[in-house]
Amino acid sequence: MSLLLLYALLLKASVTSFSGVGALPQIRQDLVVTYRVMSDEDLSRAVLFGRSSPGPVGLYIVSVGHAVRGVPGAIVGWLALASPAFLAIPMLALLRRWLHLSRVRSALDAVIIASATLLVPSGLLLARDAIMQLAGFVGAHL
Amino acid sequence: MRDAPSLATLAWLVTRDANKTIGSGMASIELLRRTLERRGWIDDREHGVLNAVARFTPGTNVLAYLAALGWSFHGAAGAVVAVLGGSLPGSVIVTILTAAAATLDRWRVVRVALTVATLVAAGLVLANAWSLVRPHVRGARVGWALASAALAAALYLAGATPVRVLLVLAIWGSLTPSEATPQTEKHVAPPR
Repeated sequence: MSLLLLYALLLKASVTSFSGVGALPQIRQDLVVTYRVMSDEDLSRAVLFGRSSPGPVGLYIVSVGHAVRGVPGAIVGWLALASPAFLAIPMLALLRRWLHLSRVRSALDAVIIASATLLVPSGLLLARDAIMQLAGFVGAHL
Repeated sequence: MRDAPSLATLAWLVTRDANKTIGSGMASIELLRRTLERRGWIDDREHGVLNAVARFTPGTNVLAYLAALGWSFHGAAGAVVAVLGGSLPGSVIVTILTAAAATLDRWRVVRVALTVATLVAAGLVLANAWSLVRPHVRGARVGWALASAALAAALYLAGATPVRVLLVLAIWGSLTPSEATPQTEKHVAPPR
């Protein structure tokens, strides 16, 4: 697989998702099912490494790139991960232009509250997974 | 934003805080928020605005947050520096981990350490959630804020995707404006 195609596929998956692991189904469809350039095991391992590294969980895309094309693939993965972030700049500029409108401010406040609400299950799921794994480690020692 | 760190300081703080936690990027953002808030460079409202923008940006929320934060302080250069600082160190580590994949799985101590780090990250994610709602539950529209949170939770529990939850809440917010809504714009200045 060419680096350009790899970048295009990873960028497509990244742009069409709104969270770190949200791109996973699309990546699996393209790279595991359609092009068969990596296995499900490679993909699971990439997600594990993404969660085991400092920084965003979405870093697993770098690992996916590495699994497909080595270090150049990892660089392509990083580019596909980082480039959509800059879309935040025009969004912030637009928001600032309209922020004097009370309806826009109220909509923004509601979105902020929703963001916070959506973080709660993420935090609780992370905690549950970690506690279950720790219990597994302790159980294995007893 | 009232005051701004230098580009070098921003690069250092983002690189340090965004790469301090494992298991959740939002935990890193919470650390960064605390650092910037302590120095008077950001407050809860500004953090909330950046968070909302990041949530609506396709891709990784954390990097979108960093791009918006960097742009707010130093324009395009700030955005590039912040995204690089927030993603490059972790990318290098992920690449090394992937290359060394076969050996890492055998070390129990590594797995335990990662699990503990994930637990800490979970706590930071929940702290971040609180920092986002704090200005609202202490403001003049407590009832409206609680209703908004309840609506978001109900939609999430009903199986709506996060983006749909945010869109519905944006519509809900625009239909229920109030003069008591905090003056968000006075906290958010154009980039320097």
